[in-house]
Amino acid sequence: MNTGIRDQGSGVKAAEETLWLIARLHAPDGLEERLQENLRRAAPRASSWTAWLRPFNGWMQSAAMHAVAATAIVAVVVGGCWIVSSHLPAQSSMAVTAPLREVAPGDFSSAGAKRTPQTLDRPLVTAPVVAPPAKTAPHFKAKTGSKAKGLGAKGLRD
Amino acid sequence: MQKTDKSLADEARRAAEERALAALVSQYASTLYRVAYSVLRNAADAEDAVQETFLRVLRHRETLCEVRDQRVWLIRIVWNVVLDRKRRMKTRPETDDVVELARVLPAEGLSAEERFAAAQHHARMLACVEQLPAKERQVMMLSAFEELSSVEIAAVIGITESSVRSRLFRARNLMAGLLDHARSLR
Repeated sequence: MNTGIRDQGSGVKAAEETLWLIARLHAPDGLEERLQENLRRAAPRASSWTAWLRPFNGWMQSAAMHAVAATAIVAVVVGGCWIVSSHLPAQSSMAVTAPLREVAPGDFSSAGAKRTPQTLDRPLVTAPVVAPPAKTAPHFKAKTGSKAKGLGAKGLRD
Repeated sequence: MQKTDKSLADEARRAAEERALAALVSQYASTLYRVAYSVLRNAADAEDAVQETFLRVLRHRETLCEVRDQRVWLIRIVWNVVLDRKRRMKTRPETDDVVELARVLPAEGLSAEERFAAAQHHARMLACVEQLPAKERQVMMLSAFEELSSVEIAAVIGITESSVRSRLFRARNLMAGLLDHARSLR
């Protein structure tokens, strides 16, 4: 078992040695010069990108200005929603009223009958009601009891 | 046209920032490259990642003076850059790793065959490291950098020092299991 543990340890150590080896690798020659050169070229672009933001830097620092900016954003969003909703046409109702059919004299009329739409897709299956056999006996007894009410308790005993 | 005091001050400030950035490049480019290479394992990709790191620093150079530990701060940036790149990259086949490692690893006194065998061994080890869960793998990779203490690794990843230690412990245990499994398959 000790050998197994030692093997495990040596395996992990080998993996860590690989990582150490990579961590100690030298950077390629001329890396620093290339980086400096690229940064020198990128510097004016980076400054022009952020230059237009600079005047706002100090201006946007105060909490009051933050609040004003937040209020303005909320106002714009709410205003925009209101404008959109107010310009939308009123929604027509979903239910459509059927036009009244005028019955000319001599024609058949519906006699006031209304068509009921078929709401179920499938045919309605009615399950046969089977009374459980266990319940029939007491029910029957109770029925005889109620029938026998007129005979009186004595008649039943007989 | 005479320059105003404000524009002169701006120019002076910009020059100082550029000098500070150049100093950062000469001081930490190599460290950042090694961190990037340990994850990406490709020289060109690693150099690109370092370049991107310094470009990010350039964009936020106004905040340079506020940074307490610039080394850890830069490693943290390059670490995020390389992880992001790695996520977007397709998985590198192991053969690529072997070729790249044979090219870059030091091989004094080794024959071509020994060199290739060593590269294969290292590629196998790295393949096992790749199988570790991301959290454990990251701690294990960063712990290989002698210049990074556990406190600094914690700062780079954004966790506590005790989490670094427990993740490293877990990583070693998992690694042992993975290596056992790999050995039994061979």
